[in-house]
Amino acid sequence: MRMQRFGLLLICAALSAYAQVPYQRIAGADNNPGAWVTYSGNYQAQRYSQLDQINRQNVTQLKPTWVYQMRNPGIVETSPIVADGVMYITEPPSTATALDLHTGRPLWTYTPNIPQDVIIIGSPPVNRGVAILDNTVFFGTVNCHLIALDAKSGIVRWDVAVDDNKKGYYVTGAPLAIEGKIIVGVSGAETGIRGFLDAYDAKTGKRVWRTWTVPGPGDAGVESWGGTSFQHGGGSTWVTGSYDPDLHLVYWGTGNPAPDWNDDTRPGDNLYTCSLLAMDADTGKIKWHFQFTPHDVHDWDATQVPILFDADVKGRRRKVVSMANRNGFYYVLDRQTGEFLAGAPYVKQTWTDGLDAKGRPFARRDADPKVEGTLVYPAILGGANWWSPSYSPKTHLFYQNTREMAGIYYKGDAEYKDGTAYAGGGGETKNGDDAYGAIRALESTTGKLRWEFKLLTPSMNGLLSTGGGLVFGGSEEGNFFALDAETGKPLWELQLGAAVRSPPVSFLIDGKQQIAVTAGSSLFVFGLP
Amino acid sequence: MVLIGAWPASAQGTTEIEKGKQLFLGMCSRCHGVEGGGGEGPNLNRPVLSHAPDDPALTAVIRDGIPDRGMPKVRRFTDAELHAMVVYIRSLSQNTAVAVTGNLEKGMAVYQRSGCSSCHIINGEGGSLGPELTSIGAHRAPDYLRQAIVDPAATLPRGVMAFPGHGFSEFLPVRVVTRDGREVRGVRVNEDSFTIQVRDAGNQLYSFRKADLQQLDKQIGKSLMPDYKSKISGSDLDDLVAYLSSLGGAK
Repeated sequence: MRMQRFGLLLICAALSAYAQVPYQRIAGADNNPGAWVTYSGNYQAQRYSQLDQINRQNVTQLKPTWVYQMRNPGIVETSPIVADGVMYITEPPSTATALDLHTGRPLWTYTPNIPQDVIIIGSPPVNRGVAILDNTVFFGTVNCHLIALDAKSGIVRWDVAVDDNKKGYYVTGAPLAIEGKIIVGVSGAETGIRGFLDAYDAKTGKRVWRTWTVPGPGDAGVESWGGTSFQHGGGSTWVTGSYDPDLHLVYWGTGNPAPDWNDDTRPGDNLYTCSLLAMDADTGKIKWHFQFTPHDVHDWDATQVPILFDADVKGRRRKVVSMANRNGFYYVLDRQTGEFLAGAPYVKQTWTDGLDAKGRPFARRDADPKVEGTLVYPAILGGANWWSPSYSPKTHLFYQNTREMAGIYYKGDAEYKDGTAYAGGGGETKNGDDAYGAIRALESTTGKLRWEFKLLTPSMNGLLSTGGGLVFGGSEEGNFFALDAETGKPLWELQLGAAVRSPPVSFLIDGKQQIAVTAGSSLFVFGLP
Repeated sequence: MVLIGAWPASAQGTTEIEKGKQLFLGMCSRCHGVEGGGGEGPNLNRPVLSHAPDDPALTAVIRDGIPDRGMPKVRRFTDAELHAMVVYIRSLSQNTAVAVTGNLEKGMAVYQRSGCSSCHIINGEGGSLGPELTSIGAHRAPDYLRQAIVDPAATLPRGVMAFPGHGFSEFLPVRVVTRDGREVRGVRVNEDSFTIQVRDAGNQLYSFRKADLQQLDKQIGKSLMPDYKSKISGSDLDDLVAYLSSLGGAK
């Protein structure tokens, strides 16, 4: 009897400790490298793990700890969240699942009703992961809902429609949880949505703010569109941003203007598409913006992960934000003011003669899409895209999986109709012997190349750097590998049998460091024997 | 999508055809030839297209591609653009198709005495080092086949499969030297960033880790097939092209 009561007490204690991820824990993620509590590992979005048990000496001994097979077919791009003995993932297209961290056995899974006629134009029906805050897990769906699930049971706490899927809005990115709020972006620029970023009250699901990425009538910036083209101006927000708790600013990239490749109806810069926005976390008010590609005609979304770090640039210590943009340039900005500090191409590009002193490109209009096609570097997926870069505070290098490939850009007709393609052309990639990929280490304050590790073909997987001096990455052909973070030398590799598309994460199981990554429809967890 | 019925080209006026032609020149002519005369892709200036017997099927092929046959989904089209291309491609069938002058019976004899079957399979017979030719006439135009005989390196097929990779040279000649000095010459079967798989002229399979190699020479732009420029010419060449063009696969 006494033993039983003692046991019960233990269970209660365990339950109350289960998946408690208060805001302070996410803000202090660097102090708790055993978990992985937000999309990119910390609010600075560095995708860096301080864990160093797996290192340059012993990485060759990595062995699978367990493997989980997704139950639904489809492309897997999820970045797992790990906290208190549980891993939370999403499966395509819109399923959230909790796995026992010791075994990979499912604890619960939740699939909302997705209508048969769901509209998904512009990308495959993917999902890049959940967010966690306190005892709740949050994820977006292809029919444009944001759903809050009880972290212990997977039972719905609330479910809200972010916007109307009939107009082409949908969600693929992982939400970002900050204090009391869940921030979520949308896809749909290929259907001519008017983009926005939303923040919801984490407890109730009530919308706290919405920031339009394309200004409306009377707003500043609407004159950069010409006529009424802003109404279907695109500017999606489909990749998770970063957050500076001290400056209280949320940093988020915006997508292409619509229609993508036909600019006849939208003369001007088309604010705030292809931009980085710094927004007040309480109100969503835009504090500053930086437009990487004014008047984009190549579908070069700025929906890459913006990484925050502090560094000496232009003579003084600064808080900076950096991005390897889809347009082929690496940028360093002052994250307090948005001031352009540095920019340099990190892949071959032929669409501009360079950047001016403020970072604005001298775009070559002869690189614009034509009906008969225009050959331009980089190809349509850009030099980089949604797949996560990594920044190591140990090496001060910015690691990016890059694509060296040309594309042919076509201009076509564009006619707006709710929920149909409003793209105005398209792009063809010049796959083949000349195209290749490379994991590149860039000097984080200049974008200068430090080293590269070439890949047979351009790939779409994210990177993780670690305190063990490693960079983990994958290939389109299924190689999962570890490189020396200082030199790029390959130290370990394993063929996983299908394209690696999700970014790796690291955490502890019973005090032992693990690395998780997906390939094909499988999620692998690796550790030392 | 808009359903497209049979559409007499004459009723459309020239604007529609002109628009379709402009789109075709940009996106299709590289493989299907100017005016649809064919090349790496089949010619389209004939009354019946095997994957597109009617206009809705042709619309679907342009819209979605035939990825496993190398026909890409080039880009997203509006219904009007699709329609213009269908009208234009249908108008091509009124052109005269490229005349094939040779004698296919004689061409078969040329094929047999020239040793082609030591590396190519037709209807299950032959060696497997080179590409199968059982239905080659349905996929390559006569001019392309002619060039493949006299200058094989100029017509190396571009990959349509996931491996070795979309757009990669297939049957790529490679030369490998291992760290212990062993040399292997053959064609690439598959490759990733860390390994390569090779078949040699004796059809033996090798698997190498790149880190274990002293040299890996990928001979892009070359072919293991000898050129037959001096061996097959004149009417023999016409006959062989006629024979290969007649190969449409199992009926």
